[in-house]
Amino acid sequence: MYTGDFMTKIILIPSTKQLDYDCDAYLLGIENLSVNMPIYYNLEEIKKIKTQKEIFISLNKNMHASDLKQLEQTLKELEKLNIKGIFFYDIGVLNIIKRLNLKIDLVLAEEHSQTNYETINYWYQNKVKYAQISSEINIKEIKKIKQNTKAQLIIPILGYQPMFVSKRHLIKNYLEHFNQQNKSQINYIKKEQKIYPIIDEKVTTVYTNAYLNGIKEYTELKENNIEYVLINSLLINKEDTKKIIDKFKKVDKKNKEEYNNDINNILNNNIDTFFLHKETIYKVK
Amino acid sequence: MKKIELLAPAGDLERLKIALLYGADAVYIGGTLFSLRANTPNANLEELKEGIEFAHKLNKKVYVAVNIVMHNKELKHILNYLKELEKIKVDAIIASDPAIINMAITQTKLPVHLSTQASTTNKEAAQFWKEKGIERIVLARETSKEDIEDIINNVNIELECFIHGAMCASYSGRCVLSNYFTNRDANRGGCSQICRWDFQLLDENKKEIKGTKPFSFCTKDLSMLKYLPEMIELGITSLKIEGRMRSLYYVATVTDIYRRAIDEYYENKKNYQYNKKYEQILSNCANRDSIPQFFNGKYDSTCSYYNGRNESSNQDFLAIILDYQNNMAILEQRNYFKIGDEVEIFGPKKDAITLKITEMYDEQDQKIEVARHPKQIIKIPLNKKVEKWDLMRKKVDKESEV
Repeated sequence: MYTGDFMTKIILIPSTKQLDYDCDAYLLGIENLSVNMPIYYNLEEIKKIKTQKEIFISLNKNMHASDLKQLEQTLKELEKLNIKGIFFYDIGVLNIIKRLNLKIDLVLAEEHSQTNYETINYWYQNKVKYAQISSEINIKEIKKIKQNTKAQLIIPILGYQPMFVSKRHLIKNYLEHFNQQNKSQINYIKKEQKIYPIIDEKVTTVYTNAYLNGIKEYTELKENNIEYVLINSLLINKEDTKKIIDKFKKVDKKNKEEYNNDINNILNNNIDTFFLHKETIYKVK
Repeated sequence: MKKIELLAPAGDLERLKIALLYGADAVYIGGTLFSLRANTPNANLEELKEGIEFAHKLNKKVYVAVNIVMHNKELKHILNYLKELEKIKVDAIIASDPAIINMAITQTKLPVHLSTQASTTNKEAAQFWKEKGIERIVLARETSKEDIEDIINNVNIELECFIHGAMCASYSGRCVLSNYFTNRDANRGGCSQICRWDFQLLDENKKEIKGTKPFSFCTKDLSMLKYLPEMIELGITSLKIEGRMRSLYYVATVTDIYRRAIDEYYENKKNYQYNKKYEQILSNCANRDSIPQFFNGKYDSTCSYYNGRNESSNQDFLAIILDYQNNMAILEQRNYFKIGDEVEIFGPKKDAITLKITEMYDEQDQKIEVARHPKQIIKIPLNKKVEKWDLMRKKVDKESEV
């Protein structure tokens, strides 16, 4: 077990409403205002949650004119609850909180654009306390950000990662166009033997072909005083999710290879570290 | 009300000049650094300077895209680059990364336009950016008429909206398919357009769902020609044509058509009539179906291409006019044409000249039947004067007019 003073907390995006996991915090979605979540709550359900763990709420939809009334009302209600913070994508959320002077901590969760410390510091100066770091940068870049910011960082560390969010109903439209039946809650697209989950709800989201598994890197993040990591349990059953959290709780430098293999086995070896150790190409020569 | 701006794309210096000559009030272009569309030539600082001087002489503007998301290692270079852009009198930069936006606003006098990569869709976000010193917001392609009206009615800021061109299938900035499929960074200029690929679609048991064509994210293009009066009357500041990767012919043609339509509307709002020939020219030029997309709130199955569609390259553009001497048009060939072809020569703010090619000559004044070589110099007898930068295209077929 990691014996340093600093504790990197684990935030779980749960796939069930029974919140009995051994994580440190939950990230929960709200109907009509969140996207890319395995399950969604309404406000009344959020109010009734009884847990000692930190609760973050995700309001990470792109907000249109028709969403603003519900958004403002929801933010006012959330201020009254003991919420640790709100994940948001749309800058409109920040403006409403500022305009109404609501006392709620914020997490900027633009999942692909939190890629440098100046950007994160800009938002920190604008009262955004936390930043969810892009899943397309590597450990070295994350460490550099940590050295240069006061914002608290949240690193996606395990689970399917969203790669694409469309306002279009891409599955529904395809089925209608070709007169096909499909009652699946989730679909997949396949290319060159790789299979990618695709979910068409309020928006259409495409996920990575494999689960991100960064348990080995988690030990490095802890050493660098990263405040939070994020586990997404989409398409992982409850029992396996609990086993994975247990591994994260107990992992240290000595057992990280063993635990890494254990998680790979739990996830049927459908795993990848994606960009944790590589850079994407900026410009094709 | 100030006349609406027509903003055209420029992939390089030549297309910058063409866009301005064909009626754009302003152009947007990338420098060789920090710009999406990293794989189009773009323009180095010297070329940008030349382009800006060219534009300013015409009382027009040049906006420079500095719209990648930054990584740590680039941070130390960006301020110098912004200072250089300021020095050559760029009219505005287009950016989405707050690291760039903040530097530009606090350490230079460059006006900043918020890129569509920021996916701004509502008045609250618009208000935030206005207070931070953003001069103009390029709205997300997903904004509806209702969204635009709500922003205009509540926030005093310039708005720029797309009127024509390709659409991202996702919210801009929320797609990294390219990163995961090809390791090319979509938000840093490397988008490999995975959304145009075909896929097998599977159900939850991973059994294939087979339509008659494969699944794709691919969408039809955007065309707002029919909605131009509505867009103008909304109070939008600038109408933007997509396409820094597009050809010179595309830029000239689309800019020319929208210039004509906008001017015709302003000249006689009461009796303005939609010109179906314009629609036909745009359709021929893009070679893809175009629709209004999200503006009218419709984004159903009719908006998509689902198949391994046969996307043949556009052959309408035949030649660019280099000069006119001794009743002879001197052209540079861009696509195959021959004796007997019916063609049109068009240029900025002038009626198209229609002709049937009855004779033509090569550079050595030898009679030829066919112009088959790219960039071949061709001479065609013509008793009407044409000018450098005019373009020759296949005649728009009357029978195919909508």
